[in-house]
Amino acid sequence: MTETITISDAKAIIENQIEELAKRNREPEWMTRIRYKALEAFEKAPLNDPVISEEELLRFIAKPEVEGIPENIESLDDLPPEMKALLDRLGISEVEQKYIAGLAVQTDTGVIYNQFLQEWAKKGLIVLPTEEAVRKYPDIVKEHFLKLFSVDESKLTAYHTAVWNGGIFLYVKEGLKVPFPLHLFFLIQESALAQAPHIIIIAEPNTEFHLIEGCTAPILVKHSLHLDMTEAYLHEGAKAQLTVLQNWPEYVHTRPMTRARDGKGARFINTTVGLGTGKSNVANPKYWVEENGYVELNGILLGQKDWFVDLGGEMYLRGKGAAGINASKSVIMDESTVITRGVIRAEAPKTKGHISCDALLLSDRATMETYPGLVSKVDDAELSHEAAIGKIRDEELFYLMSRGLDEEKATQLIVKGFLEPMLKDIPMEFLVEIRKIIELAVSGGM
Amino acid sequence: MLKVDNLHVNVDHKEILKGVDLEVNPGEFHVVMGPNGSGKSTLALTIAGHPKYKVKGGKIILDGEEVTGLGPHERVRRGIMLAFQHPPEVEGVKIIEFLQQVLVELKGLDPVEAYDLIVEKAREFWFKEEDLHRFVNVGFSGGERKRLELLQAALIEPKLLILDEPDSGVDVDSLSLISRKIEELHRKGIAILLITHYGRILQHIDRESITVHVMKDGRIVRTGGGELVDRIDREGFAGIFGEVGA
Ligand SMILES: Nc1ncnc2c1ncn2[C@@H]1O[C@H](COP(=O)(O)OP(=O)(O)O)[C@@H](O)[C@H]1O
Ligand SMILES: [Mg+2]
Repeated sequence: MTETITISDAKAIIENQIEELAKRNREPEWMTRIRYKALEAFEKAPLNDPVISEEELLRFIAKPEVEGIPENIESLDDLPPEMKALLDRLGISEVEQKYIAGLAVQTDTGVIYNQFLQEWAKKGLIVLPTEEAVRKYPDIVKEHFLKLFSVDESKLTAYHTAVWNGGIFLYVKEGLKVPFPLHLFFLIQESALAQAPHIIIIAEPNTEFHLIEGCTAPILVKHSLHLDMTEAYLHEGAKAQLTVLQNWPEYVHTRPMTRARDGKGARFINTTVGLGTGKSNVANPKYWVEENGYVELNGILLGQKDWFVDLGGEMYLRGKGAAGINASKSVIMDESTVITRGVIRAEAPKTKGHISCDALLLSDRATMETYPGLVSKVDDAELSHEAAIGKIRDEELFYLMSRGLDEEKATQLIVKGFLEPMLKDIPMEFLVEIRKIIELAVSGGM
Repeated sequence: MLKVDNLHVNVDHKEILKGVDLEVNPGEFHVVMGPNGSGKSTLALTIAGHPKYKVKGGKIILDGEEVTGLGPHERVRRGIMLAFQHPPEVEGVKIIEFLQQVLVELKGLDPVEAYDLIVEKAREFWFKEEDLHRFVNVGFSGGERKRLELLQAALIEPKLLILDEPDSGVDVDSLSLISRKIEELHRKGIAILLITHYGRILQHIDRESITVHVMKDGRIVRTGGGELVDRIDREGFAGIFGEVGA
């Protein structure tokens, strides 16, 4: 029944989509040329994926949407009842519920934040859908689009670049400090296209902001592959926080591609909260850290069912005194697998790097693997790593239970205690939801 | 209230308790003494419902109902609480959050009420509000651990409080506080089953009103009055074991 799709079939499909996107976006020619270059690279680029086979990728290109997801969701009442029940149990607001259902598209988000953004636009904060930024600020986008990736690194990079759509462009003017977190949704449900948002973050010198992407509730997406790419440029003295919240359904393969250039004395805290990770390969993030710059890469991962997460992250400490931390905490249940492979490369004097990997295994069938990599090209770098993979000890569980908590509640308390230190920078409203989702997951309620 | 009937307990397939009988009535004060390894903690942990301690024979009955098959949380809800000899460290779990949840679940308090009550009670056990934001037992001294056990007993107010060596590994000042607090809880009507090596912890307790059980090798070999405590303090267990032929 499934006919075989060849590379040239796939290329023809991609080509059509490029034409469509160029027309839809009233795209300047230079951008369409980038797409075509990516299409050329697609054929020869290596696949480089531990999970998806070439065949699967080609099949996906031919048909990105998943069967069985309700076609016409026009109101929240059209959601599958289990999903609606779950959202209610989590206490998710109606606005967020709409987003989850795919009802809230970019323009809706625009509405939610409109007033706020208008006010801040005057001060030098630009937040736009990436497509619009391409038209409005071509020079800035040209200078920052696909500068941290090369198109032929892998078939997925090439495919993303050819058909990217959606995503946001965030520009913060020199010296501007945004005092509250910017929470942006940018998911577009257009089932004919692959989901490939492109995010560009430009922090001019001495800026400060916190960007929160995604949401904690499970999202009803129509695609089995999510290919987002984030390029962040932090200039001297910028302090930026990027928090990525994700809760994908289990059929989704996610391939987030994040890279950042961290300028002199700049500080970048990049936290990913993976509540629903599906089958993720986060194998190619890269961070370049200049003199006295600091990058903190935090991962909070919940592994359930047969989920598979391969979390990478490579830091290049390029300037004197640069420092980086790569820390993850995973709670691994059922038959899921979590692999972490952080690498820190010390390339300049007096650099410091630390990798830590903590995991709590809640099932005998769950698997955790960790492969820390420390590479030093200088003699005075301080590099270290630690890993702790453990289970909840019977003694602590019994102790909590002996004071009246049942096994589920006692386990939830220990899991919460395990993860909480890493959630320190997450604003309260998200934290409440994150806690509830973790509780539900631990008690097998999801 | 509590009736332990011919209790046989295995740990790791080895028989540790070999037929223990014990009865504690409401408001009574019982003391269990015995050399190291005689099975005192095993008795306490089995009554509290530790899953590692397997009941191979006999029964544990509370208020006429058998609790032998119940989980530890169900037993404390019915009124038996154990203060541990070695309270474990629970990394990441803050004392205040843990105790709030305990009081919400056990006493139906709302979290704010619970918070205030905990902070107020904690002061009596020398814990400041900021101490309660530490993780349960993590990095605690012996004295702190035992005071935290007693604080929990004072908050939970069980019908029967089992205290497993509340006096071991404790500094002098804490010892005196703990001793006073045990007496206070007892005066409130809580029945006490106290495991100890020394009479000192009983300095505030009327010797006339206590029952003493002496354990050896998984059995209670002698039961008597408060005078046994002083005798054991003076001459150890040898004399008593000689008399009972154990
Ligand atoms: N968790 C356990 N695992 C293995 N052996 C145990 C365990 N608990 C107790 N025992 C054994 O049972 C016996 C009685 O120990 P215990 O009840 O702790 O004595 P006591 O409290 O009187 O010093 C000892 O021989 C001890 O080694
Ligand atoms: Mg003992």
